[in-house]
Amino acid sequence: MRNLVITITAAAALTLGGCARTGDTPANTAAVSDTAAPTVVTRAGAIGEAFSLYDLGSTWKDQRGETVPLGQLAGKVRVVSLVYTSCHATCPAILVELKRIEESIPADRRDDVGFVLVSLDPARDTPGRLATWAEGNQLDPVRWTLLNGSEAAVRELAAILDVRYQQLPDGEVAHANVITVLDTSGTVVHQQVTLGDETRGTSAAVHRLLE
Amino acid sequence: MLLTLLLSAMVTIPAGSYQPLYGRPGEEAVRVERFRIDRDAVTQRQFLAFVQANPEWRRSRVKGVFAERSSYLASWRGDLDTGAPAQLDAPVTGVSWFAARAYCAAQGKRLPTVAEWEYAGAAGTKKRDAARDPAFIDHLVTLYATRTSRLAAPAADAEVNAYGVRGMHDRAWEWVEDFNSVLVSDDSRGVGERSHELYCASAAIGATDPRNYAAFLRYAIRAGVSARSSLQTLGFRCAA
Repeated sequence: MRNLVITITAAAALTLGGCARTGDTPANTAAVSDTAAPTVVTRAGAIGEAFSLYDLGSTWKDQRGETVPLGQLAGKVRVVSLVYTSCHATCPAILVELKRIEESIPADRRDDVGFVLVSLDPARDTPGRLATWAEGNQLDPVRWTLLNGSEAAVRELAAILDVRYQQLPDGEVAHANVITVLDTSGTVVHQQVTLGDETRGTSAAVHRLLE
Repeated sequence: MLLTLLLSAMVTIPAGSYQPLYGRPGEEAVRVERFRIDRDAVTQRQFLAFVQANPEWRRSRVKGVFAERSSYLASWRGDLDTGAPAQLDAPVTGVSWFAARAYCAAQGKRLPTVAEWEYAGAAGTKKRDAARDPAFIDHLVTLYATRTSRLAAPAADAEVNAYGVRGMHDRAWEWVEDFNSVLVSDDSRGVGERSHELYCASAAIGATDPRNYAAFLRYAIRAGVSARSSLQTLGFRCAA
């Protein structure tokens, strides 16, 4: 029996970052029967087979305007999130969570962790604007790297981290709130997909990597 | 040579607009500029030629970041053996989004966007905009439910739409460049109240036509895959 039934809405919810919390029932459920080789797509797939994010090989500009090949981020534990500076809805909340994670790290180990914010709005979030925003939010430039890249590079990075996003006509960018922890080689070791109650797990993942 | 030219033929789709399933307030229709799209889905034969020329995309060598080893070209018998010589002209499936993109880039092309694919795919056999035609929607739902039975058939024998594009609905599902633009809340056909806490600005996005079940299925497939995953029912075609 090789038939596979994917409950589409459930699969979508999984990939979208487990946005439906445990116990939630999708309001609409569509089923598609697929008689080909079974392939179950889950978010765990991103963690199941180890790979390095740095193999994407893309090149970025940081808030100082300096060129940053993605692989240059290797060697430190990294906490990564995709945001944009003109966002007033959930991005400030993501920043609060990232700072909370930063504060949870013992002071003498804080420089072993780098926080990376990738702009989902590269046309407007120039390196200069990212620098101003970082300063306004009191982000220590030693620990915080803000990245500006091409549309294609952002699309790829978001895709590999399962961050769904979409430009809206009014200039906003609808996006999933995902915080990713990478080990020193760029392998995803933890992903937080909702805001609030999961920060402790993310901090714990960072602490484990520092042990 | 002539055969290759015929196989790689593209169709020009004139500029226009379409109403996406997940619309936004103040934007009834999405404008689509003129573009070209492959007449047929990329075939096993064409993808084999690609991996011959680009060893880094062979099954045994592909980097883990670009494809899940367990599902990438899973039906092939080896790096350069599709496993089914009689089906070389069938659409290639089991390719990740990264692999599909790399193939198109190697041809000087790109993947179509969601908007482009949906706009071209809205054409019935006679009408260019059949998206809201109940008979067309029913036809698509039937095609989707039975598509696996036709996956081994030549791409070129597929249903031709009003633009002259073949097999958009009756063969494999197809990758698009911005597949990860799909934002679906837990109430996938409406605007969930809680969605706002999950997505920045997402309350602005809701389904414009919940009756379009065929379109809903296409969006659900896009929402259910990740960039490294490959499905035996998911192929692609390129655009330019």
